[in-house]
Amino acid sequence: MRVSLKWLSELVDIDVDVSTLCDRLDMTGTKVEAVHMTGATLDGVVVGQVLTKDPHPEADKLSCCTVDVGEAEALSIVCGATNFKAGDKVPVATVGATLPNGMTIKKAKLRGQVSMGMMCSSTELAVGGDASGLLILPEDAPIGVAYGTYAGLSDTVLELEVTPNRPDCLSMVGVAREVGAVMGSPFKTPASLPEEAGAPAAGAVTVRVDNPDLCPRYTARVMRGVKVGPSPDWLVQRITAAGARPINNVVDVTNYILFELGQPLHAFDLDKIAASGGKAEIIVRTAIEGEELKTLDGQVRRLAADTLVIADTRGPVALAGVMGGEDSEVSDQTVDVLLESACFDTSTTSRTSRRLGLISEASLRFERGVDPELAARASDRAAQLLAEVSGGTVAPGIVDVYPAAPEPCVLRLRGERLRAIIGAPITDDEAASILVSLGLTLEPAEDGFDVTVPTFRPDLVREIDLIEEVVRVWGMERVPSTFPGGRERVGALTAGQQRDLSIGVALRAAGLNEHIGYAFADPRDMERLGWELGPDEVPVELINPMSEEQAVMRWTLAAGLLRAVSYNQRRGAGDVHIYELGNVFVTAPGRKQPKQRLMVGGVLAGAWERPSWDQDARPLDFFDGKGAVETLLTELGVDRVKFRTSERAWLQAGRSADVIVRGDVVGWIGEVAPQVLDAYGATGPVTMFELGVAPLGKAGTRTRAYSEVPRYPSVNLDIALVVDEEVTSEQLVHAMTSAGGKLLDGIRLFDVYRDPQDAPAGERRLPEGKKSLAFSLSYRSNEQTLSDEVVRPVHEKLLAKVCRATGAEVRG
Amino acid sequence: MSIAEELSALRDEALDAVVSATDLDSLEAVRIAYLGKKGSLTAVLRGLGSLSAEERPAAGKLSNEVRIALEEALTQKRSRLESEALASRISAQAVDVTLPGRQRMPGKRHVIHQVVDEIVQTFVGLGYEIGEGPEVELDYYNFTALNHPADHPARALQDTFYVRDLSGDRAVVEGESDVLLRTHTSPVQVHTMETKKPPIYVLAPGKVYRRDVADPSHLPQFTQIEGLVVDEGITFGDLKGTLEHFVKRMFGDVSRVRLRPHFFPFTEPSAEVDISCGICGGEGCRSCGGEGWLEILGCGMVDPNVFRHVGIDPERYSGFAFGMGAERIAALKYGIPDLRLFIEGDMRFLRQF
Ligand SMILES: [Zn+2]
Repeated sequence: MRVSLKWLSELVDIDVDVSTLCDRLDMTGTKVEAVHMTGATLDGVVVGQVLTKDPHPEADKLSCCTVDVGEAEALSIVCGATNFKAGDKVPVATVGATLPNGMTIKKAKLRGQVSMGMMCSSTELAVGGDASGLLILPEDAPIGVAYGTYAGLSDTVLELEVTPNRPDCLSMVGVAREVGAVMGSPFKTPASLPEEAGAPAAGAVTVRVDNPDLCPRYTARVMRGVKVGPSPDWLVQRITAAGARPINNVVDVTNYILFELGQPLHAFDLDKIAASGGKAEIIVRTAIEGEELKTLDGQVRRLAADTLVIADTRGPVALAGVMGGEDSEVSDQTVDVLLESACFDTSTTSRTSRRLGLISEASLRFERGVDPELAARASDRAAQLLAEVSGGTVAPGIVDVYPAAPEPCVLRLRGERLRAIIGAPITDDEAASILVSLGLTLEPAEDGFDVTVPTFRPDLVREIDLIEEVVRVWGMERVPSTFPGGRERVGALTAGQQRDLSIGVALRAAGLNEHIGYAFADPRDMERLGWELGPDEVPVELINPMSEEQAVMRWTLAAGLLRAVSYNQRRGAGDVHIYELGNVFVTAPGRKQPKQRLMVGGVLAGAWERPSWDQDARPLDFFDGKGAVETLLTELGVDRVKFRTSERAWLQAGRSADVIVRGDVVGWIGEVAPQVLDAYGATGPVTMFELGVAPLGKAGTRTRAYSEVPRYPSVNLDIALVVDEEVTSEQLVHAMTSAGGKLLDGIRLFDVYRDPQDAPAGERRLPEGKKSLAFSLSYRSNEQTLSDEVVRPVHEKLLAKVCRATGAEVRG
Repeated sequence: MSIAEELSALRDEALDAVVSATDLDSLEAVRIAYLGKKGSLTAVLRGLGSLSAEERPAAGKLSNEVRIALEEALTQKRSRLESEALASRISAQAVDVTLPGRQRMPGKRHVIHQVVDEIVQTFVGLGYEIGEGPEVELDYYNFTALNHPADHPARALQDTFYVRDLSGDRAVVEGESDVLLRTHTSPVQVHTMETKKPPIYVLAPGKVYRRDVADPSHLPQFTQIEGLVVDEGITFGDLKGTLEHFVKRMFGDVSRVRLRPHFFPFTEPSAEVDISCGICGGEGCRSCGGEGWLEILGCGMVDPNVFRHVGIDPERYSGFAFGMGAERIAALKYGIPDLRLFIEGDMRFLRQF
C-alpha cells in the first residue's frame, strides 16, 4: 500500500518527522518497506518570469532572454522554444539542477551568448503534458518558489507492507485510523452526500443477486450526463501517488475511492448493459461452465462454474470483485454511468483471481475482506466526486441489495488471560484505551471487557485477536524476557539423527565434502542414466515446476552429483570429492503422498590434491570410492559387507559393484559409464556411490566389543599366489581365513601383479591368463611369542589348503 | 738426547698432530700413533724399565705427564670434532620450513549444516528434541491445520510447488493439488503435536520449497529451522527470552534483538525478529539497507486454532513457535553475497568453511 503523506495528513494529525512515524509503524506491525520522496528530483527548478526576449544575434531559432527567478539579478538564458513571450511565467532549471532525465544544468555558451539556466517543458520535468514548448505557468505563480512546491509535486510516499489480516489498512482512511491509534492523534473519515436530481436510479436499473452468500451486498447508482475526459491535477496526483495510472475522470474517481476508503468500485457504461422494460438488468450469479468474458485487459477469459460474475441478460459483463469486462467499459462516448459498489465473498474472489492469474487492486481487497457497511457510503462519496469532476448529475437513490447486515461481533477480553499469554504487566486500563483508540467499543465485564468489533476489522473474531492488538500497540519491546519454566524435558538426538551425523563425520574423515543439491530432477535423467525404477514406481511430478530441467523430484542422488562434477570441471576445479545426504522420492499410480527415502551418495573425480613439490596427484578411481564406503561402513559398525560385481546402466561394466550387507543389496558403487559422463558433460574417471541410509542404520551398531590388545609380537610371512584371472581377492582371503586356524591374526594384500599386455614372450613372468597376488600373513598367539617351529607347519598347511581350494600356485 | 728431551719432543710432536687432525678419523690415527699398543709414547713408556733407578722416577713422572696431557688434548679435540660433525650433519639436514606440509584435507560440513548444527546444539542445550517430517506434504499439514483456511490469501503468499496427485482426488482450485512440496517446516509442528502430548520442546530443521527463481537472494529450495514449545504457562516473554538467547549464541553478545509485530496465520500474536546489523551496529549502512536491523526469523504464540486441529486444549496449554531460514543466517554470518553458492556444489566454496 502506497501512502502519500500529503494525503494522509488531511486525515490524521502527524506531528512527528517521517522517520519517527516509520519507526512507530514498524514497531506496531505495519512495516514501512520504503520511503519515496517524490518531486525531490526537481531540486533547483524554480518559478521564473521572462523579463525580456530578444532574437539571438547569430541564430534564427534561438532567443536571448533575461529571466527573474527571485534573485537579485535576473538570469541570462538562451532558449530554443518559441511558445512564450516576455512576461510569461515558466519553470526555470538553475545552474546545478538535475532534471529527471539525468541532465545537469551548467553554465553554457550558445553561439557566443552566455546561458545561466534552462527554461523547461513539461516533458523535461516529467510532469506529463505537451512537449512542444515551454510549460507556461499561470500568471499568479510566485516567482522564485521551488517549482515542486508550487506545483504540489513534493510529497513523501510510504510503501507499507499490509499483512493479509488487515484489509482495513488497504485504504487511506484505515491507515489514518491506525496511525491515529499508534501515535495517539485524532483522525477523521471523509464523507459526503451527493446532490441528487432527475429520475430515480431505481427506475433505470434493477439488481438481482442469485448468490447472496457470495455477494452479501450489491449497490448500484446511476449518473447521467457524464462528460468523460481527463481528471483534474489534484486527482491525478493522488491516484498516481497511490500507484494507479490516470485513465479518465470516471475511472480515476473509482480508483480514488478505492484508495481512500478501501471500497473497490466499478463503473459500467449504462447503455452497454442489456435492459428490459427500460431498466438495465444487473444479475449477480455464478458463471456457467465454459462461459467467456473479455476482460478490461483485452484477454478472453474462460469461466469456471464457481466463478462469480456480474451479468446482464445476455451474459457476463464483469468478473465480480476482480475485473470488469471490456464491452461495458466506460469510454469517451459514455454518457450515463452505472456505478457498482458491492461486497463479494473472500474465498470466491481469491479462487477466481488465482485460477485466472489475475490480481487487481479490487481482488486484493475483496479476498481480504471489504466491509459491507462501506458500500453505500463509498457510493455516495464517489457519486459526489464524479458529479464534481465530470459534470454529471446523480440520479436519486441507490439500488441496494443487502439482505442481511452482519451482526456486530462481541468478544470477551479477560485481563488475566491477556497477562498470562503475554507475560507482561499490562493493566486492564491500558488494554482498554488501546482498543478504544483502534475504534473498538468496550463494556466492562466481570473479568475484563466485552468488546464490540466494528465491521471494518473482520480479522478480530477471537479473544486472542484482541490480545494481539493490545500487545502490538502496548509495545513488544516492553515485554520482559523470560525462559520457559517447564519440567520434564530432556534435549537429545534420536538414534537415527545420531546416525545421520555419523555418516557425515565418516565421509568427511574419508575426505569428502558435503554438498546440498537440488531435490529437483530432470525427467530426462531417467534416459541419461539408463535408470529403471521399480515395478509400478514413477517419479514424483511437479504440476508447476520452475523449468523442464526441474520438473520432477529426484529418485536418486546420482544425477545431481554428476551435475556437480560437471559444474566444477567446467570451472577448472577438477578435483571433486563430495557427498550428499538427502531424500529421494518415488510414487506409484493411485498413491497420494510419495515415498521418501533417505540416501547417502558420493562422487570422486580428479585427485585428492593437486601435485605438490614432493607428491604426485594420483587419479582417483573405483578403489578410492570403495575406500570411502568402507570407512563409512566401519564407522557405522556395519559388518558382513560384500562388494559383488554388478551391471548398472550408468556405471562402467567391470568397474562397478553392488554393496551387499548381510545378503541385502544396500547400494552401488562404480565408475560412471562413458556415455553417461558425456550426457552430463563430465570427464572421467568419475567414481560414484549411493547407499540407502535406513538399511545401513539397521545393520550398523553403535556398540563396540573390546578385543584384547596383542601382548606378544607376531610372525609375519609373505606369500605370492599365482591364480587364474577369474579368482578374486575375496576368494583367496576367504580360503586363507578358513585354513589359517587360531594363530592366523591378519591378512594384508600388498601387491597385485600382471604381466604387461605388450610384454614380449621372453619377458613374461606369469603363464597366460594368470595374475599374482602377494599377501602378508601375520601369525600371533595371545599366550606366547611364536617361534618359527610353531608357525612354519601351520603356514605350510595353509598354503596347501589355499592352493587346493583356489588352484593357486605359490610363486617364487 | 736425554729421555726428558725425547719425551718433551714427543709431546710437542703429538700435540701438534692433535691440533692438525681435521676429523675424528685422523684424530683416532693420532691416538693410535702415540698411545696405541705400538704407539711411540707407549714405546717410550715401555722403555722406562731399562732406565737406571735414579733416572726412573723423574722419567716416569714426566712420561705420565706427557701421556695425561696428550689424552686431555685428544679428548678435547674429539669432543670439539664431534660437535662440529653433529653440527654439520644437522645443518646438512636443514629444510625450508616454508615449504608446504603434506596435508590430506578432511572433507567439510556444508556451511548451511554448520549453521543448522550450531542452532540444534543451542536448542538441545535448552532441552529441545529434534523433529522431522516429510518434504512432500499434504495440503492439510502445510496449510489447513496451520490455520490457513482454503482460499486464504496467505496461501498465495508462499508460492507453492504442487505435486501431481495420483490418488484421483481433485484440488479445489485448478492447477493446484492436495499434495505439495512443503513451503515451510511448520507442518512438523502439526505432526509433532499429533504424536506427542505436551510438554513439547522441539526443533525441526529441514528443506523447504517455494516457487522463486534462483537469484542472489532467492532459492526455490532452502533450509528452514522450526521451533515449537507447548507447555503450561508459556508466555510471549518466554518466546522473547528464548530468541534473545539464541541470537546472542549465534551472532555474539553485542547483537541486539527486536520483535516487530507481524502476521502469520498459525501464530498470534506474531512477530518478525530483527537483529542489529553486524556491520554498522545499528546505525544503518548499505548491507542493512540503512535500517540498522536485519530480519532473521518469524515467530509467535501458537494460534488456538492450531491447537484445536490437534486436540490440545488452548485454555490449559499455550506455546510458541518460530521459524528461520538457515541460508539467510549463513549469508549474514559469513557475508555470502549470493545464495546460489549454497546449492551449486562448487568445491572451492564447499572447502571454505
Ligand atoms: Zn548496517
